[in-house]
Parts: sequence; C-alpha cells; structure tokens
Amino acid sequence: MLLRLLDRFEEILIASLMAAATLLIFVAVVHRYGTGIPFLYPYLHPIHLSWAQELCIYMFVWMAKFGAAYGVRTGIHVGVDVLVNQLKNPARKWVVLFSLFCGALFTAVVGTMGLKFVIELAQTDQVSADLELPRWIVFSCVPAGSYLMCFRFLQVAWHYFWTGELPHHEEGHVEGVEVELPSERGAR
Amino acid sequence: MTATFIFGLLIALMLTGMPISIALGLTVLTFLFTMTQVPIESVALKLFTGIENFEIMAIPFFILAGNFLTHGGVARRMIAFATSMIGHWYGGLGLAGVMACALFAAVSGSSPATVVAIGSIIMPAMVRQGFPKRFGAGVIATSGALGILIPPSIVMVIYSVATGGSIALDPEGKRVLSASVGQLFMAGVVPGLILASMLGATTFYRAWKNDYPRMPKASWAERFTAFRRSVWGLLLIVIVLGGIYTGIFTPTEAAAMSAVYAFVIAVFVYRDMTLKDVPRVLLGSANMSAMILYIVTNAVLFSFLMTSEQIPQAMTNWITTSGLSWIEFLLFVNLLLLMAGNVMEPSSIVLITAPILFPVAVRLGINPVHLGILMTVNMEVGLCHPPVGLNLYVASGIARMGITELTIAVWPWLLTMLIFLVLVTYIPEMSLWLPRLLGML
Repeated sequence: MLLRLLDRFEEILIASLMAAATLLIFVAVVHRYGTGIPFLYPYLHPIHLSWAQELCIYMFVWMAKFGAAYGVRTGIHVGVDVLVNQLKNPARKWVVLFSLFCGALFTAVVGTMGLKFVIELAQTDQVSADLELPRWIVFSCVPAGSYLMCFRFLQVAWHYFWTGELPHHEEGHVEGVEVELPSERGAR
Repeated sequence: MTATFIFGLLIALMLTGMPISIALGLTVLTFLFTMTQVPIESVALKLFTGIENFEIMAIPFFILAGNFLTHGGVARRMIAFATSMIGHWYGGLGLAGVMACALFAAVSGSSPATVVAIGSIIMPAMVRQGFPKRFGAGVIATSGALGILIPPSIVMVIYSVATGGSIALDPEGKRVLSASVGQLFMAGVVPGLILASMLGATTFYRAWKNDYPRMPKASWAERFTAFRRSVWGLLLIVIVLGGIYTGIFTPTEAAAMSAVYAFVIAVFVYRDMTLKDVPRVLLGSANMSAMILYIVTNAVLFSFLMTSEQIPQAMTNWITTSGLSWIEFLLFVNLLLLMAGNVMEPSSIVLITAPILFPVAVRLGINPVHLGILMTVNMEVGLCHPPVGLNLYVASGIARMGITELTIAVWPWLLTMLIFLVLVTYIPEMSLWLPRLLGML
C-alpha cells in the first residue's frame, strides 16, 4: 500500500515537473516577445520572468533525479548486455545481481555524499542566483533521488532473485502508435 | 598508467551489463577513493551542477515534442505528402518512405522515434502493395537514422554539451571554443539532405532492378491537398530552424516551443490523442529524459576526472608528437566510433569519447562543427547494425522480423551510409558550407 503510494507519487512528480517546465519556458518566451508589442507592454512589463530559466533548470534536475529512480523500475537504464546474454543461467543470474548491487552501492554512496553536502549547506545561508531559494533545498534532490534509486535497485534485485524477471523497456514501443501487423491480419 | 586503469575499470564494469551511467559513476568513485587527492566535496557539487546548464534542457523538450509527434497524425500526413510527390518514381512507397523519414527527422531529434513514426505506417502498406518485407524494413531502419543528422538532433545537443567545457588549442595555440547547438543544427542540414538523396538513390536503383510496384502519379491538385494537410507538421521545421537561425529563440527555447506546438497539433488540430493521453506521454518522456540526463550527470563526473588527471592533454601531446595527420586521425576516430557503436547507444558514446577526441581534433586543425557532424554520422551507422543498433530492434518489432534477417535486409543502405561517412569525413566543406554561408561560423 505504502509502496504503491510511493510509486504514484514518483510518477506524478516527474510528469508534472516535465509539464510545468515546458509551460514555464513557453510562457517566458511569449512574455519576452509580448513585451515588445506596444499594446501589451503596460500589462506585461511589470511581470518579471528572469527567474524562469533557473527554475526550469531546477525542475529538470529534480525530474532527472527522481526520474532516474523511476527508470530503474521501468528498466530504461540500458547497459552493454552483449556479453551477459551469452552466459548460461546460474552464472548469468549472479552477474546480473552483481550489476544491480553495484547500482545500489553507487546510488547509496552518492546519496550519502549528497546528504553530507546538503547538511553542510543548510548551516550556511547560501541562496540561488535568481530565485533566491536556499541552496540546500535545491540540492536536496541529490540525496533524496539517489536513496530512492538505491531502494529501487534493491527492489529490482529482490524481485529478480525470486522470479528471475527483470523490468524491460520495450524500445520498439512508442506510446500511441498501434502497430498493424500484416501477418496477423492475414491470419484473421 | 592512470588512463589504462580508468578505461580498464570502466570497460570491465560495463561488460557486466550494468547501466552505463552506473559504470561511469563507479569508475569515478573507485578512482577518487583509492588513487587521488581530489576533494570528495567537489564531486558532490558536480553531481548537481553537472547538468545545471540551460543548453542540456533542450534534450527533455525535444524528447517530449517527439513523443507528441509520433502519435501518428503528423507522420501519416507527411507520408501522404511524400507519396504524392515522388511515389510514382521507381521505388514507389519505399522512396516516399525515405522522403517522409527526412521530413519527420526535421521535426524530431531521435532516430528510433523516426523509425517508429514512419515505419509503423509505411511498412505494412508496403507489404500490402507487394514489396518484399525485407525491402521495406531495410529502407525504413536506415532512413530513420536521418533523425539525428537532420536537425533538431539530441545527439548534437549532447556533443555540444560534452565538449562545452573543454580547453582546446588549435595548431597556432589559440583557444578554440566548442560548436554551439545552433551551428551544429545548421551544419547538419546539407549532409542530411545528401544522405537522404543517397539512400533514395539506392532505393530507386534496387526497386528499378527488381521492378517493384510504383504508385500512380498524383496530380498537382492532389499534391497541394497533401501539402496543405501536412502543413502543420512542416511548419514545425520553420519554427525550430528559423527560430534558432534568426535568433528569436535559443535552441532550448525552440525545443520548448516545439513541445508545446506538437502538443497543440496532436491534441487540438489533428486530434490523434485526447487530453487523457497526455499524462502518459509526459511520464514516458520524463522517463526517457531522466535516463539520458542521468548518463550526462555521470559522464560529467567522468570527464571531470579525466580532466583532473590531464588525460585529454596527454593524448593530445602524444598524437601531435607522433606526427599523425588529420586524415589518419579521422580514420582512427571513425574506426573507434564504429566499434563503440557495436556495444553502446549514441548518447553514451558521444558523452564518453567527445571530451577526449575534441582537444586532439582541434589541435590537428579540425573544425569542432565538422567533428560533431562526423560523430553524428558514425552514431547513425551504429544505430543500423547489430548487436545494439536500436533502429534495427525498433524496425524488427514493427516488421516482426528477426534481427539476423534484418541485418541482411539493411546492407545495401548501410553500405551507402558508409560511403557517405567517408565523404563527410574527408570533405569538411559539406558540413561547414551552410553555417559559413549563414555567417554562423
């Protein structure tokens, strides 16, 4: 139950960050050119959007960190699997588990490094350039995202250990395109 | 010695099949904890600031735009337009497929997306018309690779970002800045059109020899109707390229505009999808973007490590003292990239190799823009041959053909591409002419 909430939260967070960042830049560009039109100038001039770029970057960085964790769950992080696929099963299983644990190890180390860094930052009063947000809040996505990713790696490893199944991202599948199969249609 | 260790470890980790981003990151960490005095804090900072760059943000925007566009409508109308224009020549639908891929490539920044968008519509149609399945799959799998050569292109953005911070000196010792995204986009236009024509010529020749079916010739009125129907998609080319060239948008802003525009035409103009589908598209795009951005983050760490160990400088010095000419160097670059194309996908290859190759190339007097285009073409070739050619996998999914069969199917076009690669490598003017003409170089 709690897990499913976490899954949903992750999905909603990254999808809305994506949408918000796109709209933000769109509005900022429209605003920039709108200000140039004399008729709109008095309305648009007082609005300042100079912070839009910075906010967009931060939104995408957050999206990247949490999206990377989501990506472990969907199996989108690809590696060089040419060699591994040649292996027979007991050996293959251990190599795959090893690589999953390496993923967990790396993200755990990075999360801890980031956490220490954020804690140090929290004691200073550094703020970001345009938005003047405290820097430690902006940076907190590094530990949060990395720990979540570490958790996902362990989850995938656990699942793989018991069922032998890995999440697999279907490269050929793109949302919204129904592939018509001539052979199947012929058979029907 | 250090270089051997770093690359040995990286390759060993990668061969276990772990994600490339993790292999890069672990290599950096191992090295930091065991062999160097670089403060760990500076690494933690890099984890965040590594992608704190507005240029990089073009990648998620282009992915989002591409995902809205693959929703059928734009691709289908582009195919109809291409068919009405050249469908009556030898090659028929196959030739139209090449043109449709080129058109779609001009609105999408990714090759597999181009294969899916065009291929899933045109391949079944070709089979229905009596083309051998192999022919259709071969044409589309290779023509789809145009996606990353004809701007916009995600690979070019990555190249620009990966080489952005390097310090490179030309033969006279002056500092040379890396190519901007705008320059690379403009530079991709001419080679893209040439490759499209070459692939078209191969298609034409094979269809003429085997006497494959052709389409009835369309009248000018029909052509105009097809053009009018596809005009919303074609306008996007004007928005992106025109916007960047005239300086109305930065490349990132152009990417964001095209994402919003693609959303509007997919949902409100062509109505290929409803608002209910939007969250799914957003999530899929976020997933893909996050994967690439995660590799970028770790590749930034990796190139930070290489720079602090002075590996690119050592390579540059070694190559200049060994008296290698630029011709030999580019041959070496091509072989290296083709080999890497056998095991890795494009963004990782560019992120890992570009920061090393760039200073060397510049020292030998190669233009950064030329190197960027050359690397992109190499990535295209890599996408079209096994074992990891993404285009092949996508095409095999659509055509329901085995990879082995498809590998045989693509060879005439793959050979064409290799010839084109040689041309691009040794005729720099092909890439540099248009940006120079436009005063961007």
